[in-house]
Amino acid sequence: MMGRTIFIDPGRCIGCQACVSACRECDSHRGKSMIHLDYPEEGRSVASLPTVCMHCEDPVAPCAEVCPADAILVTADGVVQQADTTRCIGCANCVNACPFGVPKIDLQAKLQMKCNLCYDRTAYGLAPMCATVCPTGALFYGTLEELRAERPGVQVADSFTFGSTTISTGVAMVVPADKVQWPVPGGLPIVEVNGVDVR
Amino acid sequence: MTEPPQAPAETPQAFAETPTASADPPPQTPAQVRRRATLAGVVVSALLIVAIVLGSRLLRDFDSALLPYAVATVFLAFGVAYRYTVWISAPGARRLFKQGWRAFFSVENFRRAPTALPKMIATYLGFQKFLGARSHARWAAHQLIFWGCVLAALITFPLTWGWFTFTSSTGSGPGYEMRIWGFKVLGFDSLNVVGWLMFHGLDIAAVLVIPGACYFLWRRMKDRAAITGQRFAYDLVPLIALIVISVTGLLLTFSSIFLHGGGYEFLAILHMVSVVFTLIYIPFGKFFHIVQRPAAVGMQLFKYTSRGKAGTAAGAAATAAGTAGAVVGGGAAAGGEEGLLTCRRCGEPIDAALYVENLQGTMRDLRLDFDEWAEYCPRCKRVLRGNAYLTHIKKGFK
Repeated sequence: MMGRTIFIDPGRCIGCQACVSACRECDSHRGKSMIHLDYPEEGRSVASLPTVCMHCEDPVAPCAEVCPADAILVTADGVVQQADTTRCIGCANCVNACPFGVPKIDLQAKLQMKCNLCYDRTAYGLAPMCATVCPTGALFYGTLEELRAERPGVQVADSFTFGSTTISTGVAMVVPADKVQWPVPGGLPIVEVNGVDVR
Repeated sequence: MTEPPQAPAETPQAFAETPTASADPPPQTPAQVRRRATLAGVVVSALLIVAIVLGSRLLRDFDSALLPYAVATVFLAFGVAYRYTVWISAPGARRLFKQGWRAFFSVENFRRAPTALPKMIATYLGFQKFLGARSHARWAAHQLIFWGCVLAALITFPLTWGWFTFTSSTGSGPGYEMRIWGFKVLGFDSLNVVGWLMFHGLDIAAVLVIPGACYFLWRRMKDRAAITGQRFAYDLVPLIALIVISVTGLLLTFSSIFLHGGGYEFLAILHMVSVVFTLIYIPFGKFFHIVQRPAAVGMQLFKYTSRGKAGTAAGAAATAAGTAGAVVGGGAAAGGEEGLLTCRRCGEPIDAALYVENLQGTMRDLRLDFDEWAEYCPRCKRVLRGNAYLTHIKKGFK
């Protein structure tokens, strides 16, 4: 986990889309929002889940690893940048390989775009646009100590499991204290239990 | 933060078996890659030297004043071959490289879509339509630089290698003959339009390049999207190099026409130094995209020609998992696009099935052992992760 990073607490998200609107204002992808706001049980509950790039650290950036054009660079501070416009060939390898479903692709422009932690802002010590406007603190930017100063005793997780693979990330999620020893399940679904389709 | 290695009992499991064996040999070690790259560089630069010697009729047509340029092109050949070999040794590029050439040489593909490749080369590499979708101004500026550089390369490379000669039977003209490898291809009068164009081709190239490069330089100073993460050596040096080459090239013409050759020698050296630097820089910096970009045509051709074919591994996995996700292909599907893999959960098309299969091979090469996840669309991946969080982590989230 990076020093100053985003902490996501889906339990606080009210699905207001302020982060989605603010993300459009980011200079490095003006007019296009890179944050995803999904409603996992749409119609049944009001639960919502904001998704920014998790800036995978180990294995480092699967999107960058599968890129055939070496277009995705990881900066020294651990931020996985969006594709270099000169190199990106729009193949969508990163889109399909990202375990978190983060990158977007413009097939006409042959260009991948994704959250780069508002590098134009965070490089100068400012919080990313989404965390700046989030009214409930579902998206918090700072160090773990700063988070705990505001929310005493809060626990976070920065590893996720996808099948047999565990991925450590630069961005972390808030988890209940009794779940902190677990990597967070990444969502690879159970489709069969004892030969019965449970989808 | 957490203790990662031990997965919880509730951790969802993978759903269906997908092939894990890779038909490709194991990835090479860095030392092996370096050795292969060095060998490729030596072979390509040696071939270029032989081509220069033979093409200049055993150096009879070689202009010794252009020797530094010719030497720089040999270094360029070595550098490009070296970096290209290193590049295509990485799993992602290697698999795509093979599939691109396979699609290129496929007789079946040629029969099915004979115009696909020329069309892609023209629209993608020549007119770069994709840049227009990013920004019209950037497209226009890039076109100016592109065609200017193509023109300059077509003139200067054969000239410095001694492949082109311009000779006059009357000593100082105006009748000139243009010869390639010693064979006469064109006779022209240096005082008419054709002659002017022939002798000012590089000036025209410079006039095209300067406004394009200046626009990009201006953008690098003003546009905050471009400024984010830009690096001097990677983003600015190439533009400055193009401008220096073009301006000094134009000043050489200015000197010979208006200054009776005043300052010509200094300008010639400055021009030569900037060109040699740029040629040697090509394999290491931003200009390498010139060499990389054609790979995109291979990728496009592979995807395009895959549309009519069903993937084997992805298809088998889809069949094993039931009907939630499937490969629509093989010409049997009614409706839907042929050869596309659809999301296992929502049924939305993801990409060409064979392309996803190729990506899954790359993921396995890289030990990214969640390659079956590639058969879900990005939104379903996020929603399923949200559901897992709801179910296993924070029920209060509901």
